[in-house]
Amino acid sequence: MSEAAQERSARNAGGSSGAKVGTFLAKQGILIAFVLFMVSFALASERFLDPDNILGVIRSSAILGVMALGVTFVVISGNLDLSVGSLMSFSTIVVLDLHDTLGPALAILAMFGMTLAIGAVIGFLVGYLRLNSLIVTLGMLSAIHGLTLTWSGGQNMDIADKAGTWFAVFGQGRALGIPMPILMFALLAAVLGIVLAKTPFGRKVYAVGGNGTAATFSGIRRARTVFTCYLISAFCVATAGLIQASRSMGSQNTVGQGMELEVLAAVILGGASLMGGSGTIFKTVIGVLILGFIQNGLLLIGLQFYVQFVVTWIIIILAVWLDIAAKRGRLLSPIA
Amino acid sequence: MNIRSMLAATTAAGIALAGAATAQEYTIGITQNNVGVDSYQTTYEKAFIAAAEANPDVQAVVLDAGGDVARQIAQMEDLIQQEVDAIIIWPTNGEAVIPVVRQASQADIPVIVTNSNIAEQGFDFIASFSGPDNITQGSRSAEIMCDKFKELGIEDEAQIVQISGQPGYTTAIERAQGFEERLPEVCPNVTLVETQPGDWNREKSQQVMEAFLVKYDDIDGVYSGDDNMGVGALNAAKAAGRDGIIFVGATNFAVGYEAMAAGDYWGSIYQSPVDDAEAALQTAIDVLNDEEVPFLNYFDTPKITQDNMDEFEKPVF
Repeated sequence: MSEAAQERSARNAGGSSGAKVGTFLAKQGILIAFVLFMVSFALASERFLDPDNILGVIRSSAILGVMALGVTFVVISGNLDLSVGSLMSFSTIVVLDLHDTLGPALAILAMFGMTLAIGAVIGFLVGYLRLNSLIVTLGMLSAIHGLTLTWSGGQNMDIADKAGTWFAVFGQGRALGIPMPILMFALLAAVLGIVLAKTPFGRKVYAVGGNGTAATFSGIRRARTVFTCYLISAFCVATAGLIQASRSMGSQNTVGQGMELEVLAAVILGGASLMGGSGTIFKTVIGVLILGFIQNGLLLIGLQFYVQFVVTWIIIILAVWLDIAAKRGRLLSPIA
Repeated sequence: MNIRSMLAATTAAGIALAGAATAQEYTIGITQNNVGVDSYQTTYEKAFIAAAEANPDVQAVVLDAGGDVARQIAQMEDLIQQEVDAIIIWPTNGEAVIPVVRQASQADIPVIVTNSNIAEQGFDFIASFSGPDNITQGSRSAEIMCDKFKELGIEDEAQIVQISGQPGYTTAIERAQGFEERLPEVCPNVTLVETQPGDWNREKSQQVMEAFLVKYDDIDGVYSGDDNMGVGALNAAKAAGRDGIIFVGATNFAVGYEAMAAGDYWGSIYQSPVDDAEAALQTAIDVLNDEEVPFLNYFDTPKITQDNMDEFEKPVF
């Protein structure tokens, strides 16, 4: 088959079963990349597919994953959120500190309230003042870090009585044999996946990110949609902070530092467009899992860690390329 | 210098010999690495300010570079402009600060490096380094680990893993080096099967340890570059239900101390930020008083284990 014919068959939605497979491959390039490299890791290390290992990786990816769910909304709406790492540190420190004064239940409520309030500020600045989201959230990244340090006085925060509280349940508990962080991640992914794909609000998010002017003419209140996306992002961050705090029952001030870029990498790896208007929750989850399993796989193979940085990058580039190549139906596509 | 001021100076020197040196007031500037990034540095700063206030002869100018090399260089230039008597620097980067340290030394302001040293090319421009000896810390951790293995009678078959600090960071490199060199000397049959970085981060270290636990069925000991990472590794072992692993760290943190008290964590190295800060200030004062100061002026960082932890106060950080 010629290249042009391949591309045509990849684009062609109806017709023969071959074309259907082509369409499926084109839509799920990232899934193929994921399967490919899971297989290669499994061949390289027999421990890789051990159920304990799989559960362990998904559990530790859950924190990043929960944050990525929220950022997916923000990115699809055509904006960025670079403040999530810093905000996660904030919520972790706050909930740990309040735990010993207010008790777990009130501490969690108060932490969610404060985190959502910060999300509302960002949403207001980007949505209603129409300031550039890159600048707003980049500034917020350091402003929130300052807030965290002021709160903690720079000290590590630890729960005093680690044995006498039920707070550990979110990070260390299990239900039906599955670790709680995985359940929370799955539940949130399911709910947000439905919200994004099946509700009027979800369609507004795509519309605002895809073509803002057209969205306005369709009567969509863009500011409100963007504002809500940042609230969703803040809610996800608060959940991630809760898991993080509960998992280690103590924290440094910098626990989320640098995570904003990992989160963004996962979302983009999943195929969401930085220009807005495209992406799905399911693909973001795949992106998160790819990042988590790369880290774990390289550790299990026992590669020297200086090399790991390079290999991680190569795998990400490979995955993105496979995804794009499947969409275009050809391997090379030079800038014309 | 004219004759009159020379006379004055001679007289002053005569009086100084009689012990009046203490009456002189020194202005000492300090530019710190990144206060607030962790409890060690926060406690260090508090202790430094307290020590300076307690000393009537010292006027301290306390600055913080916030982890930013450019800001630290600017702060050094400010201190040189202010003509302080001595500068203490906690380098944000051991290489990048050398030119400005040289500038200070050319302005005849003695520079004391604190906590982590600058690169060797800069040694000509500094009066002294005051801080912990990280290579010794690493070798002491190896001794603690080995002694415990001997006590358990597994010194001939034990397998251990190492979780090191941030790659490229001097403290991380030196501790790993000290540990790796000393271990075969004291326990030649213990195998260090793998080393991975935990980036001084508890959560990262926990993930690394989870992978180690999957990969190796038999782990008898874990050496971590600091207690924060050590406790992360301990959490992973607990969650996986793997008992009997000997955990040894460095820089005893409160969490490490508590885990030792609970019997989960075997030992560490006691490094007090208060001692660190006071040693830096004292080194600066000694240099200004023309006393003899060793070029590498280490303060002692003793071993702490479950056996002797009663002799130490719980760290405040």
